[in-house]
Amino acid sequence: MVDWQYSESIESSDIVSIKKKYSNYIGGKFVEPKSKKYINTISPSTEELLSKVPLSNEQDINSAVKSAKEGLEVWSKLTPNQRSRYLFKIARLIQERSREFAVLESLDGGKPIKESRDFDLPQVAANFFYFAGWADKLDLSWATKSLKPYGVVGQIIPWNFPLLMLAWKIAPALATGNTVVLKPAETTPLTALLFAEICEKAGLPSGVVNIVTGDGSTGSLIVNHKDINKIAFTGSTQVGKLIQKSLAGRDVGLTLELGGKAANIVYEDAAIDQAVEGVVNGIFFNQGHVCCAGSRLLLQESIHDQFVKKLEKRMQSLRVGNPLDKNTDIGAINSKEQLDKITSLVNEGVDDGGELFQTECELPGNGFWFRPTLFTNVQPSYSIAREEIFGPVLTTLTFRTPEEAVEIANNTEYGLSAGVWTEKGSKILWTADRLDAGVVWANTFNKFDPSSPFGGYKESGFGREGGRHGLLSYLKASS
Amino acid sequence: MIDIKKTYKNYVDGKYVRSESGKTYTKELKNEFYELPLTSRKDIRDTVTSSKSGFIKWNGLTPYTRMQILYRLSEMIEGNKESYIELLVSHGMSKQKASKDIALAIESIIWFAGLADKWEQLAGNLNPVSEEYFNISHQNPIGVVFSLSNSTVSLNNLLLSLLPPLTIGCSVISYSEESSVLALKFAEDINNSDFPPGSLNILTGKFENILDDVSKHVEINLVALHKEIENDGLKRIQENASSSVKRVVSLPSISGLSSILPYLETKTVWHPKGT
Repeated sequence: MVDWQYSESIESSDIVSIKKKYSNYIGGKFVEPKSKKYINTISPSTEELLSKVPLSNEQDINSAVKSAKEGLEVWSKLTPNQRSRYLFKIARLIQERSREFAVLESLDGGKPIKESRDFDLPQVAANFFYFAGWADKLDLSWATKSLKPYGVVGQIIPWNFPLLMLAWKIAPALATGNTVVLKPAETTPLTALLFAEICEKAGLPSGVVNIVTGDGSTGSLIVNHKDINKIAFTGSTQVGKLIQKSLAGRDVGLTLELGGKAANIVYEDAAIDQAVEGVVNGIFFNQGHVCCAGSRLLLQESIHDQFVKKLEKRMQSLRVGNPLDKNTDIGAINSKEQLDKITSLVNEGVDDGGELFQTECELPGNGFWFRPTLFTNVQPSYSIAREEIFGPVLTTLTFRTPEEAVEIANNTEYGLSAGVWTEKGSKILWTADRLDAGVVWANTFNKFDPSSPFGGYKESGFGREGGRHGLLSYLKASS
Repeated sequence: MIDIKKTYKNYVDGKYVRSESGKTYTKELKNEFYELPLTSRKDIRDTVTSSKSGFIKWNGLTPYTRMQILYRLSEMIEGNKESYIELLVSHGMSKQKASKDIALAIESIIWFAGLADKWEQLAGNLNPVSEEYFNISHQNPIGVVFSLSNSTVSLNNLLLSLLPPLTIGCSVISYSEESSVLALKFAEDINNSDFPPGSLNILTGKFENILDDVSKHVEINLVALHKEIENDGLKRIQENASSSVKRVVSLPSISGLSSILPYLETKTVWHPKGT
């Protein structure tokens, strides 16, 4: 193999100025937490302390919800066209400060700069633009007699796409006339707090967007607050179930975007090199910290050996390292906790009898890292074939017939996404029809667009984000 | 001469069956006592098995065929109009109100029958993504739906609790407590309308007895409650449902496009464009 030597090409972090300590954003102001407690946020690629953010308590959540209620009074009285203009303005402001956000995202979360710069941030702006245009056309969106906003929406988002998940939540909620209390993830709060500055600059009426930081206990306070009208959560199925349970018997709306264990089906008549690229993108994008990651590779038996050989070769060219290096393909694992989880599941896979392949690459001394990993010789009953690993770990299973592929693909409690690779159009449609998954990528994988609904079947949650269907997550439809 | 009284049984998988428990509960109509099946946990399990295969069969039909089967149901009810009116009158309804109820029920079926081959056009669309991809969002029915019918004895209400999911291809387990006799009579018309076995199962009993079994059953995909459950009951249902992220809808819309929305799963398919 040719030994490609890359020169480092480090994106400067000068564009970002990180404060030593942050405040919550409530009622249009940055306010210190009444809890007087803070949590550290570190860079997962160096383990250096970046800043401290509030560990919000009950009093903090009370004032955030109160502010969102007050904000609703103002927001609901604006014309739809005015709401639309605010969202357009936010979209533009994000575009203008895009590089700053991208660098901060990579520092705080560990994702490669080429992804935060070329994927996350463009998508963030696009989401605000897309929903800006819906704000004054809701009456055209669905042929129902009445569509009403919920009111105050509590939004709890994960650490894998911090700012993008914020955009997926806030843009449609505001476009449909709701106000929000949003809690970013414990390990990646900084871009959400920078977004608060954008709201301020856009002159958004106070209380329309409130951002409070904290840990799981803070999230639970939002879920259990009596004045919350709807909860939108993206995260693990385990926590999603707890939230659904907490809301039992209460008149509170809920949408859940939970875990996945997507099958990426490669038929023998697929364009193999294209499929190898797609499979790599499907699992190694964002270190595999993707709920819709194509983590179960389903190979038709006849192409197994050939495909695995090509895949291993391609994996070996993935560059793991400094997220701010523009050459980096795979950045840091988001946290020590997540690294431990990945490590433990991979060890279990080896103990179960899976055949392990990991790329040979030098990992940085500090920070949290995991080598791109491929398992072959796996039985469907192994944990690595059933549980969401949420890391750069791909598990291979084989099948003989299309029927068997569909059966294996659907044999999971999850149903978020799936991939199909074949050059035969009718087989794509036949397979896509039978897959229990909210998103099916055919001859592609991990594509996203604000106009394209995203969300799961079964235990991957309910409700859609994005597109015309995404509006229904924030509107009550009746006839 | 002594009148012949009808024996009412649950309708499961295209057959009339007693509760496996042998238990019944009594309903009095015009001095006549009817022993109705008191559905047990085992009955629920058996019914879900039937509904699962019923879902595959029913959803496997073309929308055009489903439309005709639903229309056939309206033909059956039309033909048996008088006997429905008589039954409603025996529940204490005036003859005029009963006639109106049946007329409305037929109207409802006609509306939903005509929707069977149109709802996907109303609920799905192409998405204008910003790259060279074909991207379409279309819908799948969610699967097995358990529907608790309204407490008002009305054929139209009963139909509106099951037609929205049924029309889009879900299989439905319709469960009646107060309108049990009406529901079991209605099963006869289902039986005569070419529905595949298991696509629509009709059960009766005391909901409280099977509340936990229904809400914990992982193969029931959605529980629709068309009557108020006292708060603790709803809480229990929703708590049980959370263990498998089961969908629960309480007093859902029963007309227009909004009536089918809870039973849909949106599936978005991407494919690149190229040469």
